[in-house]
Amino acid sequence: MSILEYNGGCVLAMAGKECVAIASDKRLGVQLTTVAMDANRIFRMHDKLYLGLTGLMTDIQTLDQLFRFKLELYAMRENRLMKPKTFASLVSSTLYSKRFAPYFSEPVIAGLDKDNKPYICSMDLLGCVAEETEFVVAGTCAESLFGTCETFYKKDLEPDELFETVSQALLAALDRDCISGWGAVVHIITKDGVQTKELDGRMD
Amino acid sequence: MNTPESARGGFCFENAIRNSVLSANGYKAPTARKTGTTIAGVVFEGGVVLGADTRATSGATVFEKNCQKIHYIADNIMCCGAGTAADTEHTTQLIASKIWLHALATRRKPRVATALSMLKHMLFRYQGYVSAALVLGGVDFHGPHLYTVYPHGSTDRLPYVSMGSGSLAAMAVFEANYKDGLTLEDAKQLVYEGISGGIFNDLGSGGNVDLCIITADGQELIRGYAKENERKYRRPGGYKFPSGTTPVVPGSEKFKEQSKDFALVTEQDGMDVSA
Amino acid sequence: MPLSDFLDEDLSIKGSKSRSNDLDLHELSYSLGNELRVPQVERPSHFIRDAFVDVPEKDKLRFAHGTTTLAFAFQGGIIVAVDSRASMGQYVGSGTVKKIIEINPYLLGTMAGGAADCSFWERDLGRRCRLYELRNKERISVAAASKLLANTVYYYRGMGLSMGTMICGWDKTGPNIFYVDSDGTRFKGHIFSVGSGSTFAYGVLDQGYSYDMSVEDAIKLGQKSIYHATHRDAASGGVINCYHVKEDGWVKISSEDMMIQHRARVSERKAEDEASDAAKAAAAQPASA
Repeated sequence: MSILEYNGGCVLAMAGKECVAIASDKRLGVQLTTVAMDANRIFRMHDKLYLGLTGLMTDIQTLDQLFRFKLELYAMRENRLMKPKTFASLVSSTLYSKRFAPYFSEPVIAGLDKDNKPYICSMDLLGCVAEETEFVVAGTCAESLFGTCETFYKKDLEPDELFETVSQALLAALDRDCISGWGAVVHIITKDGVQTKELDGRMD
Repeated sequence: MNTPESARGGFCFENAIRNSVLSANGYKAPTARKTGTTIAGVVFEGGVVLGADTRATSGATVFEKNCQKIHYIADNIMCCGAGTAADTEHTTQLIASKIWLHALATRRKPRVATALSMLKHMLFRYQGYVSAALVLGGVDFHGPHLYTVYPHGSTDRLPYVSMGSGSLAAMAVFEANYKDGLTLEDAKQLVYEGISGGIFNDLGSGGNVDLCIITADGQELIRGYAKENERKYRRPGGYKFPSGTTPVVPGSEKFKEQSKDFALVTEQDGMDVSA
Repeated sequence: MPLSDFLDEDLSIKGSKSRSNDLDLHELSYSLGNELRVPQVERPSHFIRDAFVDVPEKDKLRFAHGTTTLAFAFQGGIIVAVDSRASMGQYVGSGTVKKIIEINPYLLGTMAGGAADCSFWERDLGRRCRLYELRNKERISVAAASKLLANTVYYYRGMGLSMGTMICGWDKTGPNIFYVDSDGTRFKGHIFSVGSGSTFAYGVLDQGYSYDMSVEDAIKLGQKSIYHATHRDAASGGVINCYHVKEDGWVKISSEDMMIQHRARVSERKAEDEASDAAKAAAAQPASA
């Protein structure tokens, strides 16, 4: 078993019209045993920038703390917020600096830039950025998520439609993965604010 | 030596002990994203044409269908990358930055040979562990240049080259059709055919054909020069889920308004560095 | 026997002398095709180990594993309950697998490990139990039936069969449960649970079990045990199937999604919490008043 599958879990981000969604499951397991059903793997970096982390939970938590720290320093030094694209470079170079002894986590970044244009990207554990315009996925059921997103995705969805599309894509994929699921959480980032909802998913 | 780690440069090995313990306990280190790739380049009268496919894979899964494998080094130099995606990406970024600093320091337009020796020195130093196989092309005052760089740091200088898992397919095309003194159009066609050969005959390569033409006048990157693997069918109208389709845990809905404390400021235009 | 023209005795594992003396049985077993043929090598079990066991993870043949099955005997007979997830590695192959195998109207078998191994050999067991009935003019005992299965899998020991099963039935001696697995283990008992989720199921089962419990309570206990296992074990899930073995044979009790149990439990808990809050508030009231 790969160490990326030790705790289970997945993250999905999808772009809409002046809005972006990021969603994840809530399971934390130790191999096949479900230990917690309220795990958090999506982190708010600032109001228009969210970071999702899949993989080994210890590294997820370490990375969250590290990036929050780096963003605080940036905000103090520059007196402004970091653009999603800049943040992606920060994450990428942080991960690549540990090229030969990496953190076991694959990040997903979702945010709105200053024109409220959606920005989404995913990375592998070494920090290779893959920018996309439609959706990005990561985690133990990435393959299933690719399938559901490829079918359900539509261009320029409004926040409400985006929520339904993302939720359906996620729930369908979770039901095909043993080590993801046990509830899910979806954040819809818009220019006015962030709408967070928890999904009533299967508990097996 | 109290240099902070962030300023010291080079790779950080703070997770190395933990990771080796994990792998000794049977948790295999995961594989990084690869670019099972076809990249190639051809020299023509007055310039070079570089080409690449656009598929990035992770195991048997296509993780990106339209990634850019032709990387920027300088305005007159570009570099195609094959191998571990993170390595090609960051190696070329690092060299681009070093080349720019070098150009500023020497007040001269960058030369392809400079980029080449920077790349080979770096890759040789890392003994092949930085797994980047590159095709480097550009035009400087000596004229057009085309090189390949292998992960261990060896290099070749040839009029037509290919790299990556699809290099055999591309080279077969080049060997059959290359002639000295190609015109731009012929060179574009030849590179396109080579990359196409990789896309259709090598399972690790796929997606579109990207081309980059570099001449003394500048460079032109053509993303999607040929798109022969477009998705064939999409459900007309797509799927629509009416509002309220997904069951939501009652009372879990939260709304956080955007705060006005900080603004996202655009970065300034590039610093004026003209002499 | 036309089929035997194609079957070279040397290729078959049943090449031993004692078997070839018993010609009738030999031919019968060929024609009925209950025999697996092993590779034509000197040591078949080594060959199979090399091909299936000592191989890199990616080349391994993945069988459906991950299961929770249970059976327990009580005053009203036997309750058998199982989940219905078929997982291939971490991928959910199906959520509606029948893991209780109806061997005959008096015998049930459960499925854990290789789905194909269990269904094939328990079907074969059903056939042999019927032959026994025809020869002896009486039903086979659960002990004998489980021994037939145990002998069969013991025969193929070390060659890659993977099964952990409970043979449940009612015979002259009353309700009986036998645990049989592909290592050749076979033992009799009152309470068994098999599969990756068995530890979770045992926890609930042991806590709630009593021999004198009513049929209704026993059914609830079986379903509840499986539900808790599906909840905590990633490789178990889907529909909970439940059977009751009585003196005159088995009956199917239920087949319902584990989410029904889950929702019921959540609302039950909520009601309990509210009740205890109300009780606390009521207790606090006179003190302050």
